[in-house]
Amino acid sequence: MAAVLMLLLAHAVVSAQDCAFRITGTVTDDHFHPVTGAVVFLKFDASRGAATDTGGHFTITGICPGHVELVCRAMGFTAVSLHADINGNTPVQIILSAGANQLAQVFIKGRRVTDLRTVSSTELRGLEKFRTAGSSLGEALKSLPGLNAINNGPTISKPVIHGLHSNRVLILNNGVRQEGQQWGSEHAPEIDPFVANEISVVKGAASVRYGADAVGGVVLLNPDPLQEYKGISGNVYLIGQSNGRMGTVSGTLQGRTDSNGLQWRVQGTAKRAGNFRTPGYYLKNTGMEETDFSAQLGYHRKGFSLGAFYSYFHTRNGIFEGSHAGNITDLTAAISRSRPLTESVFSYHIGRSYQTVNHGLAKLSGSYQFANESKIEVTAARQGDLREEYDISLPYTNDPTLLSKPQVSFKLITHSAEVVYHTGTHRRFSTDVGISGNTQGNVFRGIRYLIPNFRTYSGGAFAVERYEKDRLLLEAGLRYDYRWQRVYQRDTRTLDVYNTTLTFANPSGTVGASWHFTDKLQVSGNIGTAWRAPSVNELYIHGVHFSDATYQDGDSTLRAERALNASLTVKYDARKLRGTIDVYRNHIGNYIYETPQAQPVTLLSGTFPAFRFTQDNVVISGLDGALQYDLFSSVTLQSRVTLVRGYNKTADDWLIYMPADRYEHGVVFNLHQWHFMDEPYISVENVTVLHQSRAPQGLDYAAPPPGYSLFNAGVGFRSDIGKKQVRFDFTVANITDKPYRDYLDRFRYYADNIGINFIIKTKLSF
Amino acid sequence: MKKSAIAIISASFILLWSACKKEEKIVDPPAPDNEVITTVRLIAVNAADATDVDTAQWRDLTPNDGNPDLSQANLKLKAGAVYNMSLTFLDETKNPAEDITEEIHERSIYHLICYEPSSGLGITVQRTDYDDNTPKLELGLQAKATTTSAASGTLQVSLHHQPSGKNGTDCAIGSTDAEVTFNVTVE
Repeated sequence: MAAVLMLLLAHAVVSAQDCAFRITGTVTDDHFHPVTGAVVFLKFDASRGAATDTGGHFTITGICPGHVELVCRAMGFTAVSLHADINGNTPVQIILSAGANQLAQVFIKGRRVTDLRTVSSTELRGLEKFRTAGSSLGEALKSLPGLNAINNGPTISKPVIHGLHSNRVLILNNGVRQEGQQWGSEHAPEIDPFVANEISVVKGAASVRYGADAVGGVVLLNPDPLQEYKGISGNVYLIGQSNGRMGTVSGTLQGRTDSNGLQWRVQGTAKRAGNFRTPGYYLKNTGMEETDFSAQLGYHRKGFSLGAFYSYFHTRNGIFEGSHAGNITDLTAAISRSRPLTESVFSYHIGRSYQTVNHGLAKLSGSYQFANESKIEVTAARQGDLREEYDISLPYTNDPTLLSKPQVSFKLITHSAEVVYHTGTHRRFSTDVGISGNTQGNVFRGIRYLIPNFRTYSGGAFAVERYEKDRLLLEAGLRYDYRWQRVYQRDTRTLDVYNTTLTFANPSGTVGASWHFTDKLQVSGNIGTAWRAPSVNELYIHGVHFSDATYQDGDSTLRAERALNASLTVKYDARKLRGTIDVYRNHIGNYIYETPQAQPVTLLSGTFPAFRFTQDNVVISGLDGALQYDLFSSVTLQSRVTLVRGYNKTADDWLIYMPADRYEHGVVFNLHQWHFMDEPYISVENVTVLHQSRAPQGLDYAAPPPGYSLFNAGVGFRSDIGKKQVRFDFTVANITDKPYRDYLDRFRYYADNIGINFIIKTKLSF
Repeated sequence: MKKSAIAIISASFILLWSACKKEEKIVDPPAPDNEVITTVRLIAVNAADATDVDTAQWRDLTPNDGNPDLSQANLKLKAGAVYNMSLTFLDETKNPAEDITEEIHERSIYHLICYEPSSGLGITVQRTDYDDNTPKLELGLQAKATTTSAASGTLQVSLHHQPSGKNGTDCAIGSTDAEVTFNVTVE
């Protein structure tokens, strides 16, 4: 059975009937090596076709607007077909898998990734995605150029795009903005990366299409399209790692009732880990457990399509015992120790402190393609996020219900809806217009006060216009957002409830251009804006933030942050040499951060350094690069670099917690076939992170740690057993068991990062 | 088909607006049984003269805002004497005030109280009571203060929560639940 994937494309279709469009693209194997001599043609008009050159490139001309089915065949690979709505010159990427029954992948380049095509972006997919299986979202993405991860120990990790994270990075789970408690560095995104086979990252300000908060960028988790053919298929992942004795099981089952019937998919993941080990000692209470599942239904007929999606995420994370500090004296004592005081043993037990997080997302979507080829898409979603944090210190009480309660809990319910209309292409112009709205209610409960309850209503309207001619793409967009927020608090003395209302209104825009100098060389430039309303903690937090032993004070007069980001991307894609370089400069006005106050706060529990949220104008600029060079047909050299510079122009100083320079260099040796193994590979990689010398003085409890250099190695292959396929990967991370601390890991104050780690991953597809 | 599109749009907006419960308008009052430490009271009784008693008190009835009442946080002791000190932790946001000292006693196995006189203040403090660990470790709700010559300075009293690693002497273990400073005059 041939694997057939269909893409429901989020872009416009045409009324103009001139058959003058081109489909251009590349065909590669799943190591991204070009496939020469592959044939690509239209299923119902085989005269429209082309063969790939030695670089895997092809061009099919004379394509009429409207719906096409594209077929790709190559010796030794499974044929694939792709449905696409043509409304302009359409770039396509086809990734083939060898063997009889493998899921090959087809991408409409640049489109499925992001609705803004001139902003720099990057993707994690194919073999690279498989090799991150079992990692959290932040860890999985940190290998991409331009991305880092901010950690709170080995299990809590969140993505950093161009130096920005948390509320400044938007995550889209299957097209829906992820709404959780994103404001703390220890609040990881409530998402199971197994839900998507492909993760795309927009690097840079992208509020025009995605709304507020896309200051640093957007992470898009896109599940594969549902199965087009009748029958059932699926896969199972089994992953084990030595450090933390962590085990992960994940599986997917999908099918279609008949060739015109209902499409469905169910997916689930379970994970468990115990105490992780640094070179020299275990980290007490760093275990975690996670259970997630998702289900999806789809139905499409003619121009009409309907979908339903539900995902649920649950995790319980232990918080390293050595990181608990009651006041600044404890914190400085913990920092000054060369190793934590806690006992060093392995255990799966998760004791206090720990956090539990539950996140549910329900989504309904529908689209209809009108007779004039324009298309309307409607999405409605509901999300519930419940985060509970249990401190190590029990409250002084004998009341058992109070003793079992979390110290703080946050419940955020979000309802959102979006309607997007894609016009056709008229004389090479096409337009997307849309409106979106959402409302959120946040309920805080706690034994101690941290943040207030609130309700928000937000609405936005946008339009993105594109002009496409031959090698040129021009893009411009405008958006207007409005946000109303009412905060409910209780007066600490009179205990009366009162409320405060804030409103924010912001326009945003984008302009960009992309030019194909040759089929191999493409240059894109974009200037875009983004904005972010101050989050509730920045406005109203009042009290001790235990995780960093600071006394924090919000400022209710904070204004919205505004980012103006300029980026330039050069992509080169030849047979032997492939690479991408992004340079950018992100100017953020009213950037919100914590600034230390002259007077510490004296509480009964001790003295706390006081911080107040304030805003300044900052500039973050940098360079991301990724380069692959085939030294021989079986030896590929690859390098990645992520450089970020953050500077506070108002304070005339470096920005705190900016990622240090990161370099990754590797060699991959691979063959087409060796005994029973298909495409076996051996890879060796060095990751070098420099010392962060560009950090403000005196703002941090401990100076940035020294740089480090780690070695990782892996072997893997694929094998076909009848109609089934097995993928296998064995990786050793931190081979030399080197003790190190990372500047973006909050645990660097207390303990080393984790040591050597043996990881086995297997995937069975059927 | 246009009708279906309209139906979907209206359905989604109904889903959007109807499901909004206004739960956030109900702001939880402070947890009723939660006890916060508002007051640390130190009573010093001269071991040789039961009528020589002084009480110092460190109090903050709004424990989250950093405005403690230090008007009574002063202790006066005689030089060359031995005092039996006892410590009381209270929650005075309740009426009547709740005595938290009992709960510290109940969980004595992972609590430790430390006394740190400022340098130059002629006073040494020794814990005299023990917890329920085996073997028993020092606790510190009771202590003996020995004064030498006249001086003035401060005495820092801190309550440490040590769920693992308590050894009865090391104050750096665990986290700090209370840390207050009294002004002390020895004359």
